[in-house]
Amino acid sequence: MTRSIIKIKTTLLDHQIAQLSAIAIGLSLIESVLPSPMPGVKPGIANIITLYAMYRFNFRTAIWVSILRVFATSLILGQFLSPTFMLSLAGSLLSLLTLYFSIKLPSRFFSPIGLSVLSSFAHITGQLLLVRLWLIPHASIYYLIPIYSAAALAFGLINGWITYRLLKHHNSI
Amino acid sequence: MKSRSKIFLGDSLIIFISLIFIIFTFKTFWHFETGSVVQVNFQGKTYGNFSLFQNKEMSLIGKEGESIIEIKEGRVRFAKSPCKNQYCVQQGWIHFTGQMLICIPNEVSIEVLGKTKAYDSLNY
Repeated sequence: MTRSIIKIKTTLLDHQIAQLSAIAIGLSLIESVLPSPMPGVKPGIANIITLYAMYRFNFRTAIWVSILRVFATSLILGQFLSPTFMLSLAGSLLSLLTLYFSIKLPSRFFSPIGLSVLSSFAHITGQLLLVRLWLIPHASIYYLIPIYSAAALAFGLINGWITYRLLKHHNSI
Repeated sequence: MKSRSKIFLGDSLIIFISLIFIIFTFKTFWHFETGSVVQVNFQGKTYGNFSLFQNKEMSLIGKEGESIIEIKEGRVRFAKSPCKNQYCVQQGWIHFTGQMLICIPNEVSIEVLGKTKAYDSLNY
């Protein structure tokens, strides 16, 4: 009996996606052990990698890195298909959609910092929408909007600044 | 140096708009309004609405015994309750819209009402 070996042809971009995703998954895991003052307020440092992938390579790479990160992290943490996973996915998808449009903004005026803030706002919007429509279908969650948007701005700025420095360091901006 | 400051022009705009948005949401969702009326619910029915701007003591005889609700200087509290835990009494005075005190054993609850209905987790 001959062993059948399935060989998948991988391109250089595939390897880069894998590497970036690995870093993003690692960052997500580190973040998941950090204590959080309230559920949902997280730095979202894995978004740095998504932004970085988008600037350094292309938007497709960013989609891959972001979605792979969401799936892999939830599988590792045992949250696959749980509400946590759904929230994470909703946030990431809306965040990616926002990035798709905001990358078209003139780069003379808009740096990764601005895009990071936009994407973190999109992330929290996606999550709150899902919470409102599915988990807690009641208007009382509007109380949380100020806290979440303040956190989105703060962490969006920090992540954006890190991305900016990374890209500057690698001469990709 | 000039090009550097230009890069951040759009970003500053985004940050400025988000700051306005945050302040706006804080103002909209986090205003606490002093209530003017207290609604007393007794044994699953509304017992009555009473103005907070009066001094009044109400006595309700429920299954467990006598609950006394006290209204004074725009605030309201359970002054006495026959229940075991005394949670309702220990929560003290309330006066903001949407605040609520509940005594489940004696089936008495009071809620402060105002012009607008405030949201809380109990509505859900």
